[in-house]
Amino acid sequence: MIEVQDLSIVYGSGREAVPALEDLSFNVEEGEMVAVVGPSGCGKTSLLLVIDGLIRPTSGRVLVAGEEVRGVRRDVALILQDAGLLPWKTVRQNAELALRIQKRKENVDGILAALGLNGFERRFPAELSEGMRRRVGIARALALRPRVLLMDEPMANLDSLTRERIQNLILDLWWEMRFTGILVTHDIEEAVFLGQRILVLSPRPARTREILENPGMGSHDYRGSPEFLERARTLRRILEEQG
Amino acid sequence: MRLVVAYLLGVVLIFGAWALVSFSLAWAKGRPILPYPWEAAVAAGENIWTLLSAFGTSALRFLVALAVSFFLGLPLGLAVGFESKLDQFLSPLIYLLYPMPPVALLLFLYLAFGLGEVVRLVVVVMALFFQVVVAAQGAAKFISPTHIVAVRSTGASRWQLYWHVVVPATLPNVLTAARVSVGLGITMLYIAETKLGILLPPSGGLGRFIEYYTFRADIALAGVVALALLGLLFYVVLEILERQLCRWKYVGVKGGS
Repeated sequence: MIEVQDLSIVYGSGREAVPALEDLSFNVEEGEMVAVVGPSGCGKTSLLLVIDGLIRPTSGRVLVAGEEVRGVRRDVALILQDAGLLPWKTVRQNAELALRIQKRKENVDGILAALGLNGFERRFPAELSEGMRRRVGIARALALRPRVLLMDEPMANLDSLTRERIQNLILDLWWEMRFTGILVTHDIEEAVFLGQRILVLSPRPARTREILENPGMGSHDYRGSPEFLERARTLRRILEEQG
Repeated sequence: MRLVVAYLLGVVLIFGAWALVSFSLAWAKGRPILPYPWEAAVAAGENIWTLLSAFGTSALRFLVALAVSFFLGLPLGLAVGFESKLDQFLSPLIYLLYPMPPVALLLFLYLAFGLGEVVRLVVVVMALFFQVVVAAQGAAKFISPTHIVAVRSTGASRWQLYWHVVVPATLPNVLTAARVSVGLGITMLYIAETKLGILLPPSGGLGRFIEYYTFRADIALAGVVALALLGLLFYVVLEILERQLCRWKYVGVKGGS
């Protein structure tokens, strides 16, 4: 579904050039969920922005559903860190935003209800808890029924209970909607809980350091199981080795 | 209710202070200088229709000037603030023109536009236009990149980006700036209606009304009060507009985060 081929991104030029990604290649199968971990500032967000068509690669290319990405694709949705809600729009308007921009007529009642947001449709983001705001961000992306869902640390800066709840929610929605997912995170447990495969990136400029298979994921109970803890330990060791 | 009481108290205080100043001046100079509030009130009552007509004309003139300033200044200011290429080329131009007082150009404006209605509007628009441009430009520069990425990632066009992000994000600042520049705008209106209003009857604007009755201090002073009320009216209307259009600014946690 997603093919990343020899992807390099360099910001700026000349002496101030900063390479963010270097010769990165990997594939994501249709319906698969891949977690991407790596040290902070290694270019994980840049990777998502390229796949979403928001920035152009310096070299290499990205294919989604067999077509090279040349601009924003309407079957790809992005969930931003801190949700990126528009404070001047209500919950409903925020959730509908992507649909309206694409001139689609579907309504968002179903997805709002599924995310426990009914009754809050007319509130503004400033009136919600942080956990609810993240859920509105998820609703905005999923309202499009995307084939590919890109997630940029959707659980960052949440308290641990809320984080687990939203992790469970994303897992349930993945089972239900069968999207292809890429989850960028710096949280080891989160990567092991949500990634069927875990792509470990090196420090900037990011290269593929290792791909960890994680076939046991898929249920809420996986968290805390011996296999889960074993994977988390392995992942931690890989990340610590690179310093 | 408390607001009404506060405003009433304000009116009483201002009239009290005014009466005190009138009294002090008359005592110090040995002859009446500034008419008392009640004298101005009687004068206003005697000329109420002329005064109301002048008020209405001035209000309409100001409203049109404000609308034109927004209509021209808002798109320009937002585009210059948001599109960094335009910013590079047009900002120096705007900053050079911004501090130039249109009053200094009255002669040329008169020669160019004559003494009709157009020239009076031009003077007020020239003052308000730059206020709107500079406010919109400043606000558009500091739009959160997250909001832009969020909307761009849905496949939004440039227009949709303006409609969903740039305009609503900057509206509170632009309306606040408009409110602050009401004072300047009223001053310019007064100048336009006196210096460029000599062909008008006293009912043709408050500035003209005040000038026409230069030698009837009590009537002129009633006109000044009306001019102040005109400013207040626009100030309040713009504030209500901001509260309605930017309701999201006034919800959620008060103070703190």
